[in-house]
Amino acid sequence: MIEMRNIVKRFGTQTVLNDVNFTARDGEIFGLLGPSGAGKTTIINILTRQLYADGGSHSTGAEPFETGLMLDQDGLYARLTCAENLNVVADIYGMPRKKSIEALQSVGLGDAVKKTVQALSWGMRQRLALARAILHEPKVLFLDEPTSGLDPATARGIHQLILNLKEKGATVFLTTHNMDEAVKLCDRVALLHKGKIVENGAPSEICERHGAVKTVPDLESVFIKLTGAVLE
Amino acid sequence: MRSVKAMFVKQTLDMFRNWPVLIQYVVYPAVAFVFTVLVAKADETIADTMFVAMFSSIFAGMALVFSAMAVIAEDRETKSLRFLVMAGVKPHEYLIGVGGVIFLFGLGVSVVFALIGGYSGAEFFKFLLVMVLGSAASILLGASIGILSKNQQSASAVGIPVSMVLGFAPMVTMFNETAKQIFDIFYTQQVNVVANDVSTDIARPVLIILANIAALAALFAAAYRKKRLG
Repeated sequence: MIEMRNIVKRFGTQTVLNDVNFTARDGEIFGLLGPSGAGKTTIINILTRQLYADGGSHSTGAEPFETGLMLDQDGLYARLTCAENLNVVADIYGMPRKKSIEALQSVGLGDAVKKTVQALSWGMRQRLALARAILHEPKVLFLDEPTSGLDPATARGIHQLILNLKEKGATVFLTTHNMDEAVKLCDRVALLHKGKIVENGAPSEICERHGAVKTVPDLESVFIKLTGAVLE
Repeated sequence: MRSVKAMFVKQTLDMFRNWPVLIQYVVYPAVAFVFTVLVAKADETIADTMFVAMFSSIFAGMALVFSAMAVIAEDRETKSLRFLVMAGVKPHEYLIGVGGVIFLFGLGVSVVFALIGGYSGAEFFKFLLVMVLGSAASILLGASIGILSKNQQSASAVGIPVSMVLGFAPMVTMFNETAKQIFDIFYTQQVNVVANDVSTDIARPVLIILANIAALAALFAAAYRKKRLG
């Protein structure tokens, strides 16, 4: 269970998180929604112990080695190949290197094993970053804007991968500013605005509570239907 | 141990593809070789080891500081280091793995310098010892600068002047007695002293370099803690 209680974080005189409270249950996909600058990455940084909070308490219910992280910046080694990047992680966790190939295949990068990261497109880099995050089959997975800047087909592929991880029992904590993505993926969400949680619960419940249930044109599905573009 | 090995393998693969860093391991010994052959060997008033002493101390003070700084600043800038910390890699494991590769590259170049200088027997090993210790000091300094810097650009802004002072200090001491007394505490000066006259007693130079290493190790640990990487 991922939990934050009364978290406060200040950078200088600016309070970026103000009394943040939420709980993500084991085995669910929990989304933290908000615009850029709302404090989403700061929350991930605190949960993953990259930053100290100025007040409050938090836990992830997992040891660092049981945690996977996909960063807002991918953190990959540009001059190394896809397989070499994942081998670094496999070596750290003491896993056989064949796991690297399996992870690459699971994100549709089976043909890019020997490609260097600097030769990959942004979408391929995102998928490689996800492969690296899930390589050691973490109990808890933090995904910071996992589909940011991706085309609809690649984003949909990553959505499917995230759902597969949930099926395998992982708890997924993701940040996004894409409301549609949150509705599609998340069991529960928290809405973050200017460092404060303004609402949380299941997306459908929140929408009902605020009279926001409606049918909207789903252009993304039309695009994928027309082009047939799918993630490998 | 697993993390050290992972860092070592990663850094070895990366070094052979990182031309801006790799080129430095070629340039300094190449220049020392050219000057030794064309100038020192041709002019009896110049000691055969003069250019080896000069460029080996510049190499220790500049190239190795720059290498460690560039590699670590890049890992910080691209957030790779942050990922490693999350994966449970400890500061000393990261430094031993990454620094170990830079150290071995430096050791290889030191052997080349020793061969160019024509050192043999005990002198060969005395020269290598001070170069090895000097390399360790440089890696710690470069790593500290890399960790304290936001990105490679800001690392260069600090690292280049610092490494220039360290690298060129021994040259300045050839012309100025006051500078000689001031720079005596620099490890690069002690590398230069031994390389210039390898028959000298190396106890004092070694002690001074070890004191530099201790101070720079403390700086590295403080930098790692300051940046919340531990």
